[in-house]
Amino acid sequence: MKLKRLDLKTELAKNGVFIALILLIIFFASVNPNFLTVNNGLNILQQVAELGLIAIPLAMLLIAGVVDLSVGSIASAAAVIAGITMANTGSLTFGLLAGLGFGLLAGAVNGVLIAYLGFNPIVITLGFLSVWGGLALLMSNGRTIPRSDLPEAFQMLGNLSLGPVSFRLVLLIAVALLAWYLLARHRIGRAIYAIGGSQRAAHMMGLNVVGTRFGLYVAIGFLSALAGIMLGAKLQSISPSLGVGMEMNALTVVLLGGVAFAGGAGRFGGVIAGLLFYGVLRNGLVFMQASPFLQTVIVGLTLVLAVSLDESIQKIVKRAWAKRGRQALAELDAEQPAMRLTNDHAGTNTRA
Amino acid sequence: MTSSSNSRIQAAPATGLSAPQLELEGVGVDFGATRALDDVSLEFAAGEIVGLLGHNGAGKSTLFNVVSGALRATAGSVRVAGREAGARPTPHEMAGLGITVIHQEPALAHNLSVLDNIFLGQEHLIERGRGEAQAAMALQRVGAEVDMYTAVATLGLGERQLVDLARGIVRGEMRVLLLDEPTAALGRAETDALHALIRQLAGEGTTVIYVSHRLPDILDVCERIVILRAGRVQEDGPASDYDGAALARALAPGLDQGAYRTRRVSSTTAVSLRGTFAGVSAAEGEVLGLFGMAAGRQFEILESMFGLNGRYRYELGGEEIVIGSPSAAMLRGVHLVPADRERDGLITGQSALDTVFLPWYSRIPGKGMWIGARTGETAYAQAREDFQVVGPGGEAPIDEFSGGNRQKHLIARWASVERPKLLLLSQPTQGVDVGARIDIARAVHAIAQQGATVLVASSESDEIDLLCDRAVVIADTQFTSLERSENFSGSLLATLLNLAEEASKGTVS
Repeated sequence: MKLKRLDLKTELAKNGVFIALILLIIFFASVNPNFLTVNNGLNILQQVAELGLIAIPLAMLLIAGVVDLSVGSIASAAAVIAGITMANTGSLTFGLLAGLGFGLLAGAVNGVLIAYLGFNPIVITLGFLSVWGGLALLMSNGRTIPRSDLPEAFQMLGNLSLGPVSFRLVLLIAVALLAWYLLARHRIGRAIYAIGGSQRAAHMMGLNVVGTRFGLYVAIGFLSALAGIMLGAKLQSISPSLGVGMEMNALTVVLLGGVAFAGGAGRFGGVIAGLLFYGVLRNGLVFMQASPFLQTVIVGLTLVLAVSLDESIQKIVKRAWAKRGRQALAELDAEQPAMRLTNDHAGTNTRA
Repeated sequence: MTSSSNSRIQAAPATGLSAPQLELEGVGVDFGATRALDDVSLEFAAGEIVGLLGHNGAGKSTLFNVVSGALRATAGSVRVAGREAGARPTPHEMAGLGITVIHQEPALAHNLSVLDNIFLGQEHLIERGRGEAQAAMALQRVGAEVDMYTAVATLGLGERQLVDLARGIVRGEMRVLLLDEPTAALGRAETDALHALIRQLAGEGTTVIYVSHRLPDILDVCERIVILRAGRVQEDGPASDYDGAALARALAPGLDQGAYRTRRVSSTTAVSLRGTFAGVSAAEGEVLGLFGMAAGRQFEILESMFGLNGRYRYELGGEEIVIGSPSAAMLRGVHLVPADRERDGLITGQSALDTVFLPWYSRIPGKGMWIGARTGETAYAQAREDFQVVGPGGEAPIDEFSGGNRQKHLIARWASVERPKLLLLSQPTQGVDVGARIDIARAVHAIAQQGATVLVASSESDEIDLLCDRAVVIADTQFTSLERSENFSGSLLATLLNLAEEASKGTVS
């Protein structure tokens, strides 16, 4: 019993972002009473839905020891391609097929170059960040595709909702559940951690290193395209720069969530907490009427602080708890051995 | 604290010519609870060439590092020409005392030129305007015919070793020269040239300490032989007392004798090799040892059979197969426990349970579609019992287990979840304590008893002795099969020595 309890605390220590998230919510709620409402909660979730569609698969890529910096540009280009197709055909279906098809293709290109041919993921995806971003501008002549050119159905997609829950949030929840299942409960997840932990050892136990990474790139390409199209639907017009900076925001979320850049480590819950932290921080700063420029500064500082403090805080917390654990055990030893069983419970209560 | 590094070297009273060049007195080194060196006292005279021998873990590297200043002795003292090294000597300080170390892989800056490398970190030695002349002289001394302006990266390993040696020469008086496996990557001609240089340096008064797994090289150049075992000096005598067989006897300890029991082996051939090693074959249920030098061909053979070196053809169960990847090997029931378990086998942070099951999730019931906290628990408990694993529970990260128990997990991965047809073990008991060695041997024999063929590649004769029913001794491309006998590990070494001598004669002509 006692050991389990201590374990729970160490688990929490590993994910300081949970604690930070709670503290942040408490802070904003005390500053503004309107912050902590169901409506605002849903609002926050909807605001980060598109970002989450990208951040969740990006976390899986990082755990597998690779990265994709081209996601924002894939989102922009996919939205533009979908927009042009819709403007010319008037069909939402064709637009979705074209946009999502492009996402799959862009992901596959990254996957072939990085997983199969072994090129450096940072270099390749940085290149495609430029390529697809430029392509989006080129195809649209740098102009936003206005609402009037887009079919009715596309506008409805932006407003679609199931009761109080918007469609984009349903998408996020579906992707999150699928990612949790794959990462935490499916053998693919075990393979992803193993590949990120040691590519060589993973290969030598017969795991499909190349195929797994390729699949992840295709998945993130698809989801980035989906996020771009959903963002366009939300804004009711398609700007060729709608995905600019998304790769950085997604990376911020993933790193806030405690995923290691080196690969092999990171947990699903942490990524979700990171996403919520990002959303709450942005939203709360709006409530405090901070300028959007200042928001960007604060988000960046938070990341720097989070990552640099993370390890030292972990050490301090672990040491403190280990000490308390030892004290509790010593107290226990001092008591009657016969009372140990019942005291186990009482002891934990008083310590709480 | 403020004193310079030089003032820490205390000048001992001049004892004249009688002081030995290098003197170790009661040197001990502890790594945590492990005693790597235990009360080692040795004296080396000027101009002596001494071969230092011992198994992996016997303390050779530790002794080396203590003399070179890379490691601090926990007990005893080191004196160079009568001058005592300080309590915390640094490599820089030991170099100042005239100690030069040539590592197996020389520590040079690859993108810099030979000239830059010679003076790197010792620029103060350059006499104004004479740097190039000094370097040229040093290179000439060591017999290196290299352009001093070319990048070190373009040189072969032998040339890089000579450049490293030239670094020592420019430093001036070279009192002690430590060589770590200097000939491991050299051909016969280069080896002879190096040995000639060693003799020349010794003739000028340098003490040479020579570590090698190549017994013929040791016998060729050394005048005195020191054998370490478990951190202690076991034998110390003139090289003329030893021939190959005597060295082999001295190196093969009877530590694990008795763990091996003669077993009945079926006569059906299960595995036979093709190509260079055609003729090597093993029967069903047999544990066959492939014995050779450190970093010898035997390890390469196992890796190839597991598909790590491209497509490899051999016969398994009466059928000719071609294996091109680990997953293809696994489909055929061929499993490999790699030699470097930390790099190639284990993944830091992975749970012990995952460590055993990672390759098999797609084959266990449910095919790894839902891996809960209890998945694989019973099979894991069984494996723990088979291998007598000691340590935390299955959910603990594998790095929290001791070395021996980590290795047991690795062998369990390849031997107990899916029964292999052919189990390849590369140095399975390397760096493992005696108790775990016996547990592993017992488990391996149990697997063979159930009909699997086991191949063990090793460069340690007692490992082969512990595990194998029969051995094939391999030196380069030559090999010979050896039945189990009274002094199995001793005859392995003697056979290896003969083969190696034949092989080297072959390349000279």
